[in-house]
Amino acid sequence: MTTPTDVELFERFGGADVDHDNKEHYRGLLQRRLLLNRCGDCGWWHHPPLPRCPRCRSNQVVATEVGGRGTVYLLTFMHQGPPAPDVDYATPYPVASVELDEQPGLRYTAGVVGGPVPPAIGDRVHLVWATRGDRPLPMFAVDDDRHGGGRE
Amino acid sequence: MMVRNPAKDAVAIVGLGTTPYRRDAGGKSPLALACDAAVAALADCGLAPQDVDGVGATTVPSGSIQAALGVGEVGWWVNVTMPVSLVMMEAVNAVFSGACTTALVCHATYRGAGASRSAAADPFRVHAVGDAHGHNLAMQPETPSGTFGYCAWAGRYLHDAGCGREVFGRIAVNSRTNATRNPHALFREPLTMDEYLAGRMIREPLSIFDMDPPVDSGDAFVVTTAERARDLVDRPVYVHAGSLGRTGHPYADQLTDYQHTGKEIVADRLWAKSDLTLEDVDVFYPYDGFSIMAVSWFEAFGYCKTWEAPEFLADQWDDAGNRLLLDSRVPVNTHGGSLSEGATQGAGHWREAVDQLRGTAGDRQVDGASCALLAPGGFMWNATGFVLRA
Repeated sequence: MTTPTDVELFERFGGADVDHDNKEHYRGLLQRRLLLNRCGDCGWWHHPPLPRCPRCRSNQVVATEVGGRGTVYLLTFMHQGPPAPDVDYATPYPVASVELDEQPGLRYTAGVVGGPVPPAIGDRVHLVWATRGDRPLPMFAVDDDRHGGGRE
Repeated sequence: MMVRNPAKDAVAIVGLGTTPYRRDAGGKSPLALACDAAVAALADCGLAPQDVDGVGATTVPSGSIQAALGVGEVGWWVNVTMPVSLVMMEAVNAVFSGACTTALVCHATYRGAGASRSAAADPFRVHAVGDAHGHNLAMQPETPSGTFGYCAWAGRYLHDAGCGREVFGRIAVNSRTNATRNPHALFREPLTMDEYLAGRMIREPLSIFDMDPPVDSGDAFVVTTAERARDLVDRPVYVHAGSLGRTGHPYADQLTDYQHTGKEIVADRLWAKSDLTLEDVDVFYPYDGFSIMAVSWFEAFGYCKTWEAPEFLADQWDDAGNRLLLDSRVPVNTHGGSLSEGATQGAGHWREAVDQLRGTAGDRQVDGASCALLAPGGFMWNATGFVLRA
């Protein structure tokens, strides 16, 4: 896959606040890679993207792929919300802030794909990719062993 | 923590102005609403526009208010994002420092096109930049800001406290009971807990009764030195202490946890600055744009411990009055809060607290009220707290 250009980012994320601090995150989404900022000097992760490492003040922050595994920390079921072609609020749409295994407190917020049982706080989840319109959309799916081995 | 409070009681609120809170103000712009409120606020304290030398506002350009009202030359002006508490803090500091002597503070709300079908058919709302809450219209279902945060933290609260939604219901029911005595409120019908629990879900676990209704509104306040205030009005309301609070994780989904938010910072700093304590408070105004916010302020200010609000609010419930009455004495959100009065991002809380302390709250007047505790903000990036005294 060719690397999406800056112009493509603006075309495909119309209305989003794409800027020099978060462009690699958006570029990653188009390549189905979830990239969060990590400090090149001390290894600390942070999100949303900032120009400096909140721990050591280094400006050597690098958008780095995460493993996509984590634990549901916040969860809401949306019975209505902003229009999106793939979201039918007639079935409440779960949106979760997932604490990623990379670091305590590092969270990423995304929708949770449907399953036999609604998701719950504390569930173990993994990253999956869906599609919204013409672009990839990161989502989480509950692990088969939803209580398996994670922090809460 | 070192705090200072040289502005203690040095600045006062002398004028209040407001417009009706409606779903559609009928052809009025946010600027017109702000101006209506400002004209009323100046009249309330007997000042002419030329007596003002500072203008602060949220959503409406302060220069346009200045121009429209014929305010002459000003030495201080500012536009700050809502809630209006942020501008009030600026105004207090400006008056105290001498940047100006008499400041006009204005806030207006304008229902966004997304608020209803009729709003969506109104070209003036469709073409407004962003919606009345400043939301980006390109917001996605998963965007972790705006309403997402409080709904998600409300869910986390129920999980951590191990309680049911009744804790939020008490905020909503209290609000409606108090609103029955507020002619300014949008919703004045009482609400039962059963009705609350059956409310239509919006973002589970929060329902239609947990979220304040968008309105078209204008509110204005006149702020001046304590000395000038005493010349102008019988009963000035002094800003005794105030603080904003924000952690280094000011994003809805990145807050460390529920116990490390802006509200703890506000409470710590406010009580360190204030000579008055919780026992002195006669009326309490926790912001309730989302019901979870109000619940959290009881805990932050020390009325009860974290996650003990469910028991505390049940204990402090006045069955006869069908509302909260802390220590059988202190009512909460006497105007009905934003939940009943309308979504004005804390402007209504400010107005009602001042009305109570100067004895102009009509049927709602709390006898002898002389100290108000306000938390007219949320708990993520916009936490604010103030102690006012008469």
